[in-house]
Amino acid sequence: MAKKQEGNRTISQLDKTIPTSQRVIAWPRMGNIDLSMEALVSAIGAKIVMPPPNNKEALEIGVKNSIEGICLPYKLNLANYIMALEKGANTLMMFQAPGSCRFGNYTKMAQKTLKDMGYEFDMCVFDMYQSKMKQTLKAFWHVSHCWNPYRYYKGFSTGFNKAFAIDTAERLMFYIRPRELNKGDAERCYKKWYKIIHDTTSLFGCKKLKKQVIEDFRKIPIDENKMVPKVYLLGEFFVLLDPYTNKEIEKTLGELGVEVERQIFFSDWLEHVLQPSFLYKKESHRERCVRYAEKYMKRAIGGETIETIGDTVYAAQNGIDGVIHIMPFSCMPEIVSQNILTKVSKEEDIPVMTLVLDEQTGKAGYQTRIEAFVDLVKRKKMKNMQNT
Amino acid sequence: MDIRNTIDSNSKIIGIPRAISYYYNYPFYYGYFKALGYDIVLSDKTTTKLINEGSKHVVSDTCLPIKVFVGHVVNLISKGCNKIFIPSLQSTAYKVNNCTKVRGLPEIIRNVIDKPFTMIEPTLDKTNDISFKDFCFDTANQLGIYDESLINQAIKSGWLMYDNFKQMTVSGIPFEEALENAINNKTAKKTIEIVKPISVVIMAHGYNLFDERISMRLIPKLENMGVKVYTGLNVSKQDAIDSIQQIGEIQYWANELDLTGAAAYYMLNGKIDGIIALSAFGCGPDSLMVKEMEYHAVENKLPMIHLNIDEHTGEAGFLTRVEAFVDMLLRKKRRKIEKNNIKLFQSSKSENTKVSQEQKEPSLTIV
Repeated sequence: MAKKQEGNRTISQLDKTIPTSQRVIAWPRMGNIDLSMEALVSAIGAKIVMPPPNNKEALEIGVKNSIEGICLPYKLNLANYIMALEKGANTLMMFQAPGSCRFGNYTKMAQKTLKDMGYEFDMCVFDMYQSKMKQTLKAFWHVSHCWNPYRYYKGFSTGFNKAFAIDTAERLMFYIRPRELNKGDAERCYKKWYKIIHDTTSLFGCKKLKKQVIEDFRKIPIDENKMVPKVYLLGEFFVLLDPYTNKEIEKTLGELGVEVERQIFFSDWLEHVLQPSFLYKKESHRERCVRYAEKYMKRAIGGETIETIGDTVYAAQNGIDGVIHIMPFSCMPEIVSQNILTKVSKEEDIPVMTLVLDEQTGKAGYQTRIEAFVDLVKRKKMKNMQNT
Repeated sequence: MDIRNTIDSNSKIIGIPRAISYYYNYPFYYGYFKALGYDIVLSDKTTTKLINEGSKHVVSDTCLPIKVFVGHVVNLISKGCNKIFIPSLQSTAYKVNNCTKVRGLPEIIRNVIDKPFTMIEPTLDKTNDISFKDFCFDTANQLGIYDESLINQAIKSGWLMYDNFKQMTVSGIPFEEALENAINNKTAKKTIEIVKPISVVIMAHGYNLFDERISMRLIPKLENMGVKVYTGLNVSKQDAIDSIQQIGEIQYWANELDLTGAAAYYMLNGKIDGIIALSAFGCGPDSLMVKEMEYHAVENKLPMIHLNIDEHTGEAGFLTRVEAFVDMLLRKKRRKIEKNNIKLFQSSKSENTKVSQEQKEPSLTIV
């Protein structure tokens, strides 16, 4: 019975009254997801409206209209929906992953809140759980009624390639920023490529993007002998990807002369989630985390807890100098991580700092804490180098 | 009770913390472990000292029930227990999951408490095909029992106790009494009920509501004010599931049945005058479920109050809010009766006499 009920959860609830030609799709913001979504949706012949990037105004709208006790990502998602609906969207899309945390309930709540506010729309939700690819295709078919398989191929291909290219650019920027000779080079290069990736539409052009990005970043002059401590950035998925919420922590760290490595990227996650399991060639990030976290955790408990713990242990065993763990206030899985990280930090001998992000927009407090942490990491690295 | 002297490492004693799954599931655990030949040691009742002890071990953002749970585990260890039962209840039906912190209880305990003890940590995860039977077998195997017929026997006697307990609570017997009777293999009969002027349903997790320290004796307090209290325990599982479907929701959380299920059941059959939501500060599932129920309460014109609790809630502020809510319900009920021309009081026009009647009202027994 439970499985039967499940089938009704997503597709049958869809509103079919809006004609396909009049559909305007909106998707909440999360990192650079807009690049891929735009490519995919326009390839299958539907219109898309992107809500403006998260900022103070969006946060205010979100906080005003959502529940007091809910986590920050929901508030921003809701604000994105509202802003998109104001701009003329009538179809809201979102994926959900039941069983992770409150995330699986976002759309249900958002739908109620928005209906209560008097908006009219159709919400198209698909599960990222089992038979993911099928559900994804079904959802996109529902909003576009596009039968042409080539268009789907083009959409998914360009979307994937854009995600890979922008994430490669971001990775390279993290590497180059602390080492660059002319301050601001990496940032400028990233912004340039963001625009190019955004504007590229052809299938072939998108496939070449990643290579071009790597070549271009290599041209930036860097000081290769500089002592640069390396810090892992871990934590909750949304706050890691959203530069407004995490107050551009990567930039802050880069300017302090620290190389940041982030294990969670949108493209990696997309690849892992959408690929059928028999096509996995190498050990995925999650499998590696499960292996490394074994000593501290025996089961996955939802959210990104096991990734956080596994990556911290991995970092400690691979000579990373420190870990910064960020999470939104009252995030359930990451509170468990925070509890466990205290012990991991002690046993694996790696400095860990947890930053809890909420609606407060003051940056000075975070800046001070990050600076102190960077000082600690640098001193530790110097000590280790002297000993060896 | 100091049992330290009587316990040696091979003795068949298992400790169960009086928190989280103890409420609701203890009758099953009792029957099951007794049939396996184990004696059960419970931790002491929750006190402020115990909560403080628990808070010391975890980070400050952790919610109150988890802090209480850690406190109970510490308490069991200080009693000399070396086998402690800490289940990980991941999901209770297909795609119906528990809160992350409840799912990760063994992981939290393993990493925050560094005293030597054996943790019995079975997993129940119906989404990933780990059924309740596997859960029971896992428990027994971790205790070193592999005899299949014995385990099956134990499961049966566990269910027997649980069914008895559930039958009693559904018929309206309060939690403590039902639990005591179930454990002693007795069946209590429902006593004659005094009709109370108003009735409410409390939507709250069992571990918050029936813990006298956490809920600050909310149920006795309400009963003293002349309020009939319904809880999630008074609703059978099937009724709760049906009610959730009837109001057009999909069960997402494992303990949604005790909250949304109970509230929806009584809302639909019109037995109640108001809903009281009681949740711990920072509770993830509650933040959504309570809001969801609020929408339905507005639709059905039912008054609703949301009470938040944490480690150091002063009792006075809490009580004032409850009293105000109950006063409001009484006034509403009386107006309804007056509207329908049922005369209970002598009609009076001046406001002052009305106020004096209100003060007498809690002693009112017939409506």
